[in-house]
Amino acid sequence: MTLFFLIGIFALAPPTAVRAYDTPDDGGGAVTIEWQLSPDDAQLDKYEIYRSEDGVDYEKVGFIGAGRSRYEDETEDGKNYFYKIVALMNTMRIFSQPSQPVMSSAQWINRKKLNIFVALFIFGTFILYFTYYARRGKEFFIRKIAGLQAIDDAVGRATEMGKPILYCPGIGYIEEIATIASLNILGEVAKKCAQYDTKLINPHLDPIVFTVAREIVKESYTKVGRPDAFDPESVYYITDLQFAYAAAVDGIMVRERPATNFLIGWFRAESLILAETGASTGAVQIAGTDQVSQLPFFVTACDYTLIGEELYAASAYISKEPLLLGAIKGEDWGKLIIGVVLIAASLIGLLTKFPVLNLFR
Amino acid sequence: MKRTIPLFLVFIFGIMGIIPFIIPNPIVQGTDEFVRNNLLKILAAFALILGLGSLLKVHMDKIRRRRQNWGYSWVLIISFIITSIIGLFGGVAGTGILPTTIGSFSFDVWTIYFNVEVPLGSTMFALLAFFMASAAYRAFRARSTEATLLLASAFIVMLGVLPLGERISPHLPSFAQWIMEVPNVAGQRGILLGVALGALATALKIILGIERSWLGGGGE
Amino acid sequence: MKIIEILTKIDRRIIYLILLIAVIVPLLFPSPEKVRVMPPVEKFYYAIDKIPEEKALIVDFDYAPQTAPELDPMGFAILRHAFKKRIKVLVLSLYVQPLGLARNALTQVVAEFNSAAQTNADSIIYGRDYVFLGWQVGPILAMLSMGESITNFYKVDYYGNKTDTLPLMKQIKNYNNVGLLASLSGSDIPKYWVMYAQNRFGLKVGAGVTAVSASEFYPYLQTGQFSGLMIGMRGAAEYEEMIEKNLNIKSRKKASESLPALTYAHLVMIIFIVIGNIGYFIKRRKK
Repeated sequence: MTLFFLIGIFALAPPTAVRAYDTPDDGGGAVTIEWQLSPDDAQLDKYEIYRSEDGVDYEKVGFIGAGRSRYEDETEDGKNYFYKIVALMNTMRIFSQPSQPVMSSAQWINRKKLNIFVALFIFGTFILYFTYYARRGKEFFIRKIAGLQAIDDAVGRATEMGKPILYCPGIGYIEEIATIASLNILGEVAKKCAQYDTKLINPHLDPIVFTVAREIVKESYTKVGRPDAFDPESVYYITDLQFAYAAAVDGIMVRERPATNFLIGWFRAESLILAETGASTGAVQIAGTDQVSQLPFFVTACDYTLIGEELYAASAYISKEPLLLGAIKGEDWGKLIIGVVLIAASLIGLLTKFPVLNLFR
Repeated sequence: MKRTIPLFLVFIFGIMGIIPFIIPNPIVQGTDEFVRNNLLKILAAFALILGLGSLLKVHMDKIRRRRQNWGYSWVLIISFIITSIIGLFGGVAGTGILPTTIGSFSFDVWTIYFNVEVPLGSTMFALLAFFMASAAYRAFRARSTEATLLLASAFIVMLGVLPLGERISPHLPSFAQWIMEVPNVAGQRGILLGVALGALATALKIILGIERSWLGGGGE
Repeated sequence: MKIIEILTKIDRRIIYLILLIAVIVPLLFPSPEKVRVMPPVEKFYYAIDKIPEEKALIVDFDYAPQTAPELDPMGFAILRHAFKKRIKVLVLSLYVQPLGLARNALTQVVAEFNSAAQTNADSIIYGRDYVFLGWQVGPILAMLSMGESITNFYKVDYYGNKTDTLPLMKQIKNYNNVGLLASLSGSDIPKYWVMYAQNRFGLKVGAGVTAVSASEFYPYLQTGQFSGLMIGMRGAAEYEEMIEKNLNIKSRKKASESLPALTYAHLVMIIFIVIGNIGYFIKRRKK
């Protein structure tokens, strides 16, 4: 009797309701195990997770701290697994009942990401819809963007003064949207340089961006009928170090004294170094970036600044290409819908108990 | 053909960037990993070779034609050659086939990095403080109500960050924190949303071939 | 007229000289300042403090030497915190440049702890308590690949050891075994960790950033995408304060020592802005 009493005092209670299931919305190879905490959880050191393929021989596959009741195990797809959870306190351990057999497998769709896919689809539809109408001849209005209006004047100024134009596309890699937008504008600026026979200086930090930029500038010169005027050395790679690049561009500004500086693309801390040096040489400066932290520096030191999406709209704005204008219109409608959804969701969340946030997780 | 193949490739790789986000299946994820881990690395390596080739060509041409400041081109080329030899044959921490120590003097790549690149980079970065001071002095004027509001917020945040701010008023740091967490976040969110949607639209335009100026020469 | 000329057209070299003096003098005569700990840093501290025993902390050193004065103290403070609490640590860099800084921080902090250790159990042992993964090509590649398997992407560590032979890496397989990732960066990298690692794999992320880029990270803190945020030198000083107060870690507080220089530099800028505006208003009134 005393023995049973002592066992009653010192024995641990095991975790219960062990449930193992294939981890959802993944590429397979994972099983999630959940359980009810042991009533003695507060005294436990940890839980250990044991696994078996035949329901007889179990081996330890992991551990987790006390107070936690969920574990994800790495498994092989197509095999049945059984799980037991072991509660540990010092040297005492007690096993739970085994789980039902479970097999992991890969899923084709991650349901948690479906809301993003739906949003992408709606947004893409707007863009395609307005592009379709643009193709059919409908004209779309785009508001004046001062920085882009000034490009012609800026190039003209350089031509009159007989000085070069410096085009700095920033320090971003080719996957940055700001860099792609900058290269689009570079194409247009290069066309004007070719037309007016103005020297273009285009230094680069990234070798891939440099390669693309060279082709763009070459094509621009060819497009306006001046392939002979293209100087391959006007577009060149300097270095992939941020401040070494800034030092090199500063050197170009001080030595070559360009009449116009274009600082358009993805910038970081070197933005003010470039802008302030350019300002000290008396050049007209047109800047543009989507990096919010650098915008104040450009606004302070440059004559014109393209902020965020104005940079992305530049290609459509300069070329006046109907398809691109249609895409901008679609983008604006998408933004409007998002604004309306945000306001509606906020009101629903504030005024009702509907779990509206779950729609966006 | 010259324009069709790049457009087709951009479409395929663009879709391949989106699909793995939604489809967790190992076949799709494996393809995505192969492209990222292998193809892109090889591409980056070749682009670097092209870039270095261009750099050397520009400077050697400058030397050949004795253009202005051609002497500095010699400095660049000689530094490039020396650092490349030390890096390629001496190893990163002097563990290669080329010895990179003479007595206690070491000239491996880490030494060059810590004694040349780090101080030079730090010097350039340090310029920011001075340029910020001169730009702020030149341009921060209370020209309008908005500019005055901006100036006042700037002063509060600048002082709130410092221990001095706490001595001026114990509420100043909290107020500065509030400015950063509420009006600043509101403005940032607006710009972030716009930038994110603009980036999404630009990416979609490029993938779908609507935006083609990256091909060179215009949108046809 | 002369006053307006002086006030509105101070030669920039005079501004540079005064700023230089204001920064150098406090650095030559350092006196650490105490700071009040603000909620974003507190959240960061407790996010690391609460990492469970079976999970690791990843510290991502992603800043160039230029931003080291702001971010190095953060790295040192986080490593001291983690090693004091015996939290397992993985250190990596997504770019080549910060590797030296990461190695420097690890070497120094580990030496600090081991010089005070009495037994092997007290010591910080490589491979058991921490691993320096080093660098591999492609920052986004790293973020995505580590969600599946860390040792598959980082096949060898910084020192050339095969990662799957290290005791720590037998436990820490992927993000499921990581309690928090602390990203110390002078650029956008913390946002990419959220975009790729958190969105896809649910990884918790904390960020240590430079003061100039702080404003763009606050939205992420508010939504809970960042578990904590340290901003600039002040943020580093606050974290140093927390580890000293809570864990009794007495070490050199580089960030706190640099705060006086920051104070005087800010004051100089404020004074010049005020002078410029006084000149501007006098000029405007005369017109």
